[in-house]
Amino acid sequence: MSTGRDPQLQALFASAEQEFDASAFRSDVMARIDAQRRRTVILWSLLSLFAIAALVTLASPVFEAFRIANQVLPVSLVDIETDWLRQAVSPVNSVAAGIALCAVALHRFYLRIFR
Amino acid sequence: MQRTTDFLAKSQETVLVGLSRRGDRAAFAELVNRRQAWIRNLMRRCSGNSVLADDLAQQVFMQAWRSIVQLQDAARFAPWLKRMAINTWLQYARKGDPLRNVEDRQGFELAHHETPGIAMDLDRALGTLAEDVRLCVVLSYYEQMTHNEIAGFTGVPLGTVKSHIRRGTKRLREELAAYIETQEVKS
Repeated sequence: MSTGRDPQLQALFASAEQEFDASAFRSDVMARIDAQRRRTVILWSLLSLFAIAALVTLASPVFEAFRIANQVLPVSLVDIETDWLRQAVSPVNSVAAGIALCAVALHRFYLRIFR
Repeated sequence: MQRTTDFLAKSQETVLVGLSRRGDRAAFAELVNRRQAWIRNLMRRCSGNSVLADDLAQQVFMQAWRSIVQLQDAARFAPWLKRMAINTWLQYARKGDPLRNVEDRQGFELAHHETPGIAMDLDRALGTLAEDVRLCVVLSYYEQMTHNEIAGFTGVPLGTVKSHIRRGTKRLREELAAYIETQEVKS
């Protein structure tokens, strides 16, 4: 527990301690806390309004996009007439599987070129 | 209302901290009342500027209000507040505000009008030290912290803390020679 303090300087520090007007300072702090709380409430209100507006505006296009994706992604890439074969290759025989395979191939290509 | 104020004024600090954690503004105002002189003096010794010191002290209490819910042990309020005050000062000091030196000088002049005698001269002497040296000296002499504690609080290596305090002490003794000689004569 080292301190290495000079006793005379320590006495000077002790005698330099000041008394302040506590009530004005306390009022300022509480006023700033209230102002900050008001700002936070206003900010959250604006963000909520913005989120609701965005939801209302974008709801229709987003649902439409989901509907189209739902129709397009399961479509088979190749028509297979044999029942058991169609079932067997169905995980890779769709637009969704094609997109996924393309993404994997592009990723590997990227890794091979840039690493 | 008066009864509440009286109750709070007589309450222990741990009770006030507990109430503040539940969002009691009056209890927190009483905490500010009790701890303001300590934090304002600490900030004044660090910054040498009475206006800046009060602003930073207010920021410390605002931050304390925001994060008091996270304080697990109410009995640790004082060290928790001190850490917050030191961090607030370090953040301000590291910001590198180009006008800070100008403000400091104005602050020192303002302090001359407000605080007579030894506090003014001590702040002026502290103002001659580099910021990191001044912080180590203030924490050592004003906060009575050990070298290890200062190193832990500020993140400055222990050896550097020791040399800062040694160098700062030497400089302060030179700057405040008149006061020190008077003390020697008295003793």
